[in-house]
Amino acid sequence: MAIYSAIGSSITRGEGPDKVTGKSLYAADITLPGMLWGKALRSPFPHARIVSLDTSRARAVPGVRAVITAADLPDSLVGRRLRDMPVLARGVVRFAGEKVAAVAADDPAAAEEALLLIDVEYEELPPIFDAAAAMSPGAPALHPAMSSYEGLPQPPSGINNVFAHITWGQGDVAQGFAEADLVFEHSFNAQLMHQAYIEPHACLVSAEPSGKAQVWVNNKDPYALREQLAAVWGLPEERIVLHPCSIGGDFGGKGSFMDAPLCYYLSLHSGRPVKMVMDYIQELMAANPRHPAVMTIKSGVKRDGALVARQARVVFDSGAYGAFKPTVYLRGADHLCGVYRIPHARIDSYMVYTNNVPKGHMRSPAKPQVVFAVESHTDLIAREMGLDPYEFRRINLLRDGDSSPVGHQWREIRADETLRRAAQSAGWDTPKPAKPGTLTGRGLAITDLSQGVGRFAARVSIGASGRPKLHMAFWDTGTGSHTVLRQMVAQELSVPVDEVDIELLDTSEMPFSSGSGGTRVTYTAGQAVVGAARELRRQLIRAAAPLLDSPEEDVSLHSGRVVVGPSPQRPAYYRTIAIGEVAAHAPAANHGEAGIVAEYEFASEPPDVTSFCAQAAEVEIDPETGAITVTRFVTAHDVGAILNPLLHQGQVEGGVIQGLGYALMEELQTEDGHISTLSFGDYKIPTSADIPPLTTVLVEGASGPAPYRSKGIGESANIPVAAAIANAVTDAIGAPITNLPLTAEKAMTAIKNRESGN
Amino acid sequence: MVKLKINGTEREAQAPAQRLLLDFLRYDLGLTGAKEGCGVGVCGACTVLVDGELFASCLTLAAAIEGAEVTTIEGIADQGRLHPVQQAFIDHGGFQCGICTPGQIIAAKALLDFNPQPTEDEIKQWMMGNLCRCTGYYGIINSVAAAARNTRNNAPRQPTDD
Ligand code: FES
Ligand code: FES
Repeated sequence: MAIYSAIGSSITRGEGPDKVTGKSLYAADITLPGMLWGKALRSPFPHARIVSLDTSRARAVPGVRAVITAADLPDSLVGRRLRDMPVLARGVVRFAGEKVAAVAADDPAAAEEALLLIDVEYEELPPIFDAAAAMSPGAPALHPAMSSYEGLPQPPSGINNVFAHITWGQGDVAQGFAEADLVFEHSFNAQLMHQAYIEPHACLVSAEPSGKAQVWVNNKDPYALREQLAAVWGLPEERIVLHPCSIGGDFGGKGSFMDAPLCYYLSLHSGRPVKMVMDYIQELMAANPRHPAVMTIKSGVKRDGALVARQARVVFDSGAYGAFKPTVYLRGADHLCGVYRIPHARIDSYMVYTNNVPKGHMRSPAKPQVVFAVESHTDLIAREMGLDPYEFRRINLLRDGDSSPVGHQWREIRADETLRRAAQSAGWDTPKPAKPGTLTGRGLAITDLSQGVGRFAARVSIGASGRPKLHMAFWDTGTGSHTVLRQMVAQELSVPVDEVDIELLDTSEMPFSSGSGGTRVTYTAGQAVVGAARELRRQLIRAAAPLLDSPEEDVSLHSGRVVVGPSPQRPAYYRTIAIGEVAAHAPAANHGEAGIVAEYEFASEPPDVTSFCAQAAEVEIDPETGAITVTRFVTAHDVGAILNPLLHQGQVEGGVIQGLGYALMEELQTEDGHISTLSFGDYKIPTSADIPPLTTVLVEGASGPAPYRSKGIGESANIPVAAAIANAVTDAIGAPITNLPLTAEKAMTAIKNRESGN
Repeated sequence: MVKLKINGTEREAQAPAQRLLLDFLRYDLGLTGAKEGCGVGVCGACTVLVDGELFASCLTLAAAIEGAEVTTIEGIADQGRLHPVQQAFIDHGGFQCGICTPGQIIAAKALLDFNPQPTEDEIKQWMMGNLCRCTGYYGIINSVAAAARNTRNNAPRQPTDD
């Protein structure tokens, strides 16, 4: 029986003291001797031809060391997979905010001044802002060379401006609809949203005379970024070194290369290290926000409430480029049919070019959008059929042995239990609180999320100090992953967690590792770290056995010592030796001091188990103003072992409140292709005064794919929030709001429409 | 030349008249604890104390507060001993990525200096000016409440000579 002492404890973050004293260094905090400041000039037009570009006046500004345009760069495109984006616009700009030129200067003010003196003549072209319109045959093709781009997931579909048309499903929907007694169809819209990490994108690049490039950037996926940079710069990967730094929030948005490709050219042309930091106006205008989506779902249902067919379609506005998506399309769109048993299902997802800002990933990409749609649709069907939304879900929820609408065969399906626990905690079967003068409502929503896959390399070493050290090239985005991984080392080597150190290496010092994201860290990084720690344990035992004059089988680790004993249960061991002493006897390891080193690489397989998250919201609506208040929120999670309750709960709470912002207030608004919400004053995110009373329900006992049978928690809590709140609003008003966010204005319209019987 | 007393030490540096306090701290003095988020006085990441009052350093000209006493996150711990607010943020999940944390801690310290026993509602209202995208605020509110409790519990034992 394993005794998990380090695992399951609310260990506080090892980097805590640095974070609370201002010592942690983020990309924008790092400086190099001789460093210059880089700034980019952005297009004021959403679609235009660049007629001429004159940088001579800018070059004359004192302190300016380099001014570059596309003419100074190799004609190559960059992308996380699909390489469709120029580093600087070449001949044409495709969104308002696209970079057309860049300056490096001794100080930020000189760089700003120079930007103003760059003369660009544009000839405006007709823009397309609506994804559906962009798909129509008559619309101009925004990327005429699309079929030549590297990284397309499939040959172009032939639909205008569509660079990825991906489908999922099972069965035969035509047959399914023929079997249905009733058919329902609804359409939904999800808005453009920003990740709103408080730390803007920043990078520092030094193109050294040796031909090496040293890079500090708040990117969570350093090895993937190195590949992207190598491809666009035309450098071998070994010549590019990414250095660790703290990342000030990610939520999917810090996986993109952003200014790093450009910053290198400024460094190359100036011969100096160059730092580029986006200000928040640029962040809101031209980073990589969450995709807006237009979704339609049609379902065929039997009279008894059983779903037999579902056909769903989602159009994502990718904006001007697809370069910020690591899979080109959004895999999460496969959730558009929900977590129900539906024999005949089909999803069509389209990724479309427009002249809007290019989109990227945000926490569980595509899922908050499509789960809002499918879970709202679920409630609307239930209402129209006169069924309780909870009961209607229970009739159709996936159970053991079922295949999901897109053909996944999960083991240990805990959808029903998770939903039941959420409903129970929300008092679903008790009367709604009646408050005179307000409309009150309750709503439910459920989804699932399986952990993503990747590769990871971990090294664990131990020297004479006896403190194990975990080495990796893996930056924390704020989740506390480093602490959880230290807990795993502590567990395997039987030492207290605070005796495990961490050393963050740069990318040249370790093999490839996937970055943080996709709820994969505890699984993929976790298995690699546990693998390395176990290997180290074996080596310690092997090295200690002769020192203890005992066979290896009789030797084990206990509280920082190697012990000999007939059984670990025996209270006293007759011979022991400190692990540091064992390490001191070992020959010098190739990575430094005397000691023992173990390395382990792990490539994860798609897990055969998923994890459900069910939520319940209670709302109050002021019928005079339409103001919606969430008065209570329950989030229930299908979890395995919890490695660190404090950090686990932090992920849940942060996810719920991001979902709340998505549901009720956040929207990047655009006017003719220009984003008009350009500060946190206009782009409102939740504050401490906006948070509802929250109950977290942990439905424990699952066996996840991550070490100690745990499951990831990074993304799920943010997914169903908007759907649960939307369903509560529908319940309160008696009519739905089908486009996010659920503002007071939309609530008023819904109330008026219901009163007038529309 | 701008001259300020920062975390108890007189500091001066050559800076243009338009230099913002945030830039003065970060670039002229190399004190990178205060962060730039929004840059327009909304997010609170750049919060510092100026003569004991909360200031958005991204909106304040360094020259305009010439001679003032400025406290930044680097000056909150007492000779390496964390302030109770700092310790509480570690113990109660008050931060995740940490980018908002310097501002949160300065704001929380100012609250407790002014109101040592705030109610939960008072904490929520006071901390509204400091955005956090990671925690959903629950951990921050718990941290501030815990710091208030700890300060109270420790009060009788506080030495009188420092
Ligand atoms: S950076 Fe000063 S308030 Fe946001
Ligand atoms: S801890 Fe990341 S923004 Fe607050």
